[in-house]
Amino acid sequence: MKSKGIKKFSMFFALTFVMTTLVGCAQTTYKPEFSDGLVINLSGGDWGYPSPYTHYSRGPGMFKMRLIFDSLLERGEEGLIPWLAKDYDISNDGKVYTFVLNQGVKWHDGKDLTAEDVKFSFEYFIEHTPVVDDLTIGDETFIESIDVVDDYTIKITVKCPNATILSRLGATRIIPKHIWEGIDDPKKFTEKEATVGCGPYILKEYNKEQGAYRFEAFEEYWGPKPKVDSIQFIPVSDNILAFNKGEIDITGITADLLSKYEGDDEYAIMQNPAFWGYKLMFNMDRREELKDKNIRYAIAHSIDVQELIDKVARGAAVPGSSGYLPVDHIWYNQNVRRYDYNIDRARELLKGKDLELNLVISNSEEELRIGELLKISLAKSGIELDVKSVDMKTRDAMVKSGDYELALIGHGGWGGDPDMLRRTYATGAIPGYSNEEIDKLADLQLMELDEDKRREVVFELQERIGGELPLIPLYNTTGYIVYRPGKYNGWMYMFDHHEVTHSKLSYLEER
Amino acid sequence: MNRDRTKMLLGYLLTFLIIITLNFFIPRLMPGDPFTSLSSEEGDITVIYSEEQIERYKRYYGMDRPIAEQYIGYLKNLLKGNLGYSIYYNQEVVSILKNRVPWTVAIVICSLIISSFLGTILGSISAWFRNSKLDKILYISMVFISEVPAFLMGILLLFFMAGRWGLFPLSGGMSMFTQYSTKCEVILDILHHAILPVMTLSIAKLGEFYLISRSSMLSVMSKDYMKTARGKGLKSRRILFRHGLKNSILPVITRIFLSLGSIFGQAVLIENIFNYPGIGTLMRQGVMVRDYVLIQGIFLFVAITVLTMNFIADLIYKKLDSRVR
Repeated sequence: MKSKGIKKFSMFFALTFVMTTLVGCAQTTYKPEFSDGLVINLSGGDWGYPSPYTHYSRGPGMFKMRLIFDSLLERGEEGLIPWLAKDYDISNDGKVYTFVLNQGVKWHDGKDLTAEDVKFSFEYFIEHTPVVDDLTIGDETFIESIDVVDDYTIKITVKCPNATILSRLGATRIIPKHIWEGIDDPKKFTEKEATVGCGPYILKEYNKEQGAYRFEAFEEYWGPKPKVDSIQFIPVSDNILAFNKGEIDITGITADLLSKYEGDDEYAIMQNPAFWGYKLMFNMDRREELKDKNIRYAIAHSIDVQELIDKVARGAAVPGSSGYLPVDHIWYNQNVRRYDYNIDRARELLKGKDLELNLVISNSEEELRIGELLKISLAKSGIELDVKSVDMKTRDAMVKSGDYELALIGHGGWGGDPDMLRRTYATGAIPGYSNEEIDKLADLQLMELDEDKRREVVFELQERIGGELPLIPLYNTTGYIVYRPGKYNGWMYMFDHHEVTHSKLSYLEER
Repeated sequence: MNRDRTKMLLGYLLTFLIIITLNFFIPRLMPGDPFTSLSSEEGDITVIYSEEQIERYKRYYGMDRPIAEQYIGYLKNLLKGNLGYSIYYNQEVVSILKNRVPWTVAIVICSLIISSFLGTILGSISAWFRNSKLDKILYISMVFISEVPAFLMGILLLFFMAGRWGLFPLSGGMSMFTQYSTKCEVILDILHHAILPVMTLSIAKLGEFYLISRSSMLSVMSKDYMKTARGKGLKSRRILFRHGLKNSILPVITRIFLSLGSIFGQAVLIENIFNYPGIGTLMRQGVMVRDYVLIQGIFLFVAITVLTMNFIADLIYKKLDSRVR
């Protein structure tokens, strides 16, 4: 009786095992058709179904969707370039934008793209906010009306002039009217049609569990011919191991590993522009003394940024600019005030006061190190830091609700439109901080449509910010990437972004 | 007897209710929410939602309603078998789980079989040769490997067996974008990918089964019928496996079911090392992005599995051991 029971159970085990294995198999009965030609393999991971509504809100999700969906303008190496729109015009009062579309643009299902699709896309996005929402400023959309002039001309009237509108209109994806017209809940629209776009690549396969995608070049693409015939994203546990084994064709590496690839013809190395950075935030509501500029200066003088760069970023970073826009930004002003590491100066500014401050950081390895180093170096000028490490979402929630004294935060996008200065420094952005002059310049740059004049204002704004130092940009990372030029050599940066694999132009022939 | 069983069932039901309540409230008590994000991992960028956009999403997912109302709604949906719609993955939680669970269950069951089988044999041998050199070596090495954290073992295996020697794939559950000519190749490919995770989990569990089996066998060996068997002059292999093992296996079997809770915990870590597409990687992502609905679904699945297995362990113990009957 007993041994019978055991036998039964071993049978049960064996059966479950076989069944689970078979279930695993059942999902894999696809038969991919393979195109010849150049196949580029990149590090995968699940970033969502690449429609404008269902990709995840991080970089890799956005750019996969953008391979499929084109926009009126594209981000080139130097700035915005005409894309679906071959030409555009802005009225003198900055309220009417006219775009002339390229002709012969096809959707992946063979239908023609016309101005009706463009009008539909904007209207649809206003009604149903996509993951990346470019059409809202403040609480509402800036678009007043959209008129189709003819099949290939569209006129967009905006509520009030604003310097960021061109890039916002230019970045908005264009989706096919004939597919999305009847869709009421786009977040739940995950049919095959949801990824019919007009971009250079067609989504051929997506496997959510494995985190794998396969894109193939669209043969009837209207624009520059795709150089890469297919782009595959495969699951990878360790990027560098996978690169060394040839499983993926490009990877980011730490500065410590540089020597392994340097001087070897098989590899080429590029250094990323410094568009990802850490900043130290002050909550002046919580700690009134931080309203005193001299205290903020003292903190800045107590930080050995070079040490942070050497020890945490292993040399692959540049010091942050006190005017916020990093050194690689197209509008970086190098005349901003600098705060060198100077303990004596810091003590002088503190006038013998001792300070105790709480610092909240996330639990990433880098931030733990930065927190530790800050604690040591600030102690030298008599500022005692109590460092608290929490997970990323918790830290973000604390910063958002103002539940901190000092906070360390790291994020990307430092190469973007200089309007970020307004969002970062204008009244309300930093708890307890307000400066009339900064507010005035921040509004001025937003309204100024003349590029040269706007640039001047942005330069002045940076100097003003650098002198005020309402927060301290610590450093911006310049990671390295390595690839095999023998296999593919077309990698390009966008003017405002640090990741070559995210640039659509990386995969297309040069124009 | 019957009253006992009712009592036991009520106990399980109560546990279950407490678990689903905790499942609902714990994710929501964590600081942060699914939509607030100001930072990103190094090198990554993120969309920062405006206040207005966050409000809109909260309305869309019904998170603007009072929490009690949300809880009741959750229970109602649960009764209908509706686990909700994942905020991050934009997919029904049920279908996400359906795609992910088999991977985890497969590696968990395989490693339970391997580790219990090997552990029992080694434990029995160790007990049989008690205090010999072999026993000592086995004992020390088993205690040692059961103390090595599973994720560390996983990283070592990944680095050497996959990275350095290239014996196994680096990650994932199957090769992507390759063409298989037969179904058999698909299965082989999946097995090939599963070997390292299974190996890691088996090693992590081996010590536990070894120790249980060894001590159980030791106590069985002191029993009179074993002495009789030896006295009858039976072959030692026959005594060990026929008479000894049969009687010492009971604690091992119950342990198999009881260890499911902890092995799921270890599978979470190991899947993340090998980027294995099971619920472990899913859970980590769910917690990181505060996908309440998904976290609830995963925890519910794990809770049901562990409770069921405990229940089965109870039953088996009663069935196999006449003393409890």
